Amino acid sequence: MKRLLPLLAVFAPAPAFAHAFLKSAEPSVGAVVATPPAQLLLTYTEGLEVPFCTVTVAGPDGAQVQTAKPQPVPGHENELAVPMHITAPGKYVVTWHALSQDTHKTQGSFSFTVSP
Amino acid sequence: MDSPAWLVLRGLCRGLHLAGCFSVSGTMVLAATLLRGARVPGLKLLAWGGFALALGAGAGWFLLQTAYFAAAQGWADIITASPIVAQDTRFGALLLGRVAVLLLAMLLFQAGWTRPAALLGLGGVLAQAWLGHGGAMNGPEGNVLLASAVLHLAGAALWLGTLPALLLALRHLPGDEAARLARRFSPLGMACVAVLLSAAVVQFVLLIGGVGALFSSAYGALVSAKLLALAVLIGLAARNKFRLTPSLPGSRAALCRTVALEIGLGFAVLLAAGVLLQLEPPAMAGMAGM
Repeated sequence: MKRLLPLLAVFAPAPAFAHAFLKSAEPSVGAVVATPPAQLLLTYTEGLEVPFCTVTVAGPDGAQVQTAKPQPVPGHENELAVPMHITAPGKYVVTWHALSQDTHKTQGSFSFTVSP
Repeated sequence: MDSPAWLVLRGLCRGLHLAGCFSVSGTMVLAATLLRGARVPGLKLLAWGGFALALGAGAGWFLLQTAYFAAAQGWADIITASPIVAQDTRFGALLLGRVAVLLLAMLLFQAGWTRPAALLGLGGVLAQAWLGHGGAMNGPEGNVLLASAVLHLAGAALWLGTLPALLLALRHLPGDEAARLARRFSPLGMACVAVLLSAAVVQFVLLIGGVGALFSSAYGALVSAKLLALAVLIGLAARNKFRLTPSLPGSRAALCRTVALEIGLGFAVLLAAGVLLQLEPPAMAGMAGM
């Protein structure tokens, strides 16, 4: 048994990331972009219940620039698209609240910058 | 609605709902297989009782979960969000679909079609796996977790779910017939325990990550309590198999007491499981924030 335990540890898979955590974003976390993006695309580690997900994008002056609620992405249950209207350069703060299909809520925030 | 008290209440409703579903499917499975046509008075009433529990607790779970989803401040918010939860979420579709499937199974069971009823009832229970972490995750880890959840549910439902009907039958059947039933039940119980333990190992590795997490989180504490209860349940089942069943029909009263104890303990395990599924597994603690 003592010989078996290290063997099991070697083959043990990494822990699973259950709950919806942010996997990637476009624009990406901390990115500096030259062209103001027309939409924000968020990809999570789990499928989402989009009607109960919220995303706000606040510009340098604190005004919100998202123009609609998060939209589902057909064929991708773990993605959210958020249309935006950005007219000025500066730092934009994204704050998200997600509800995953396993009924759990998660939240987080990050920023990206639109260069002058 | 995000406070620990509401979380526990949601979990208890989930556990009660599962207990009702287990009882419905377990009663049907026992009637369709191990009873082999033996008439047990009160079996249909037992199944209807399980269905009533599943329905009542399911309604409570639906309302509490809707309130949580919508961050509701009152009944008006819950009523507004209910149709969205019912139509546009996996939780709503699965819960309402399962209640419909169980009702159909009950009607078939009442009409004497026990095998189709048992299959439907078991299917309704297994659908619960798609509301767990594995059901929502993509990739190989999600598939492994989903498969282990299906096996975990099948093992638990076929073991714990059949116990109330087994107790009823052991009490009412003639001595030699009760003895034969108890002997036929033993392999099913052993197979279920093996499946449960195998699935538990997979879930332990993927969701908990290490023994240390058992002692450093609420999730770990509940898992520890479940494991302890499972160990006691296995001990009771072993006593049934190796000591009481061979002594039947003389040991019938003692066997009935042990099965009743198993039912009580199994019920507590299901309530703990309901609360457990509302918590964040330690393996991903600290992931939020980005």
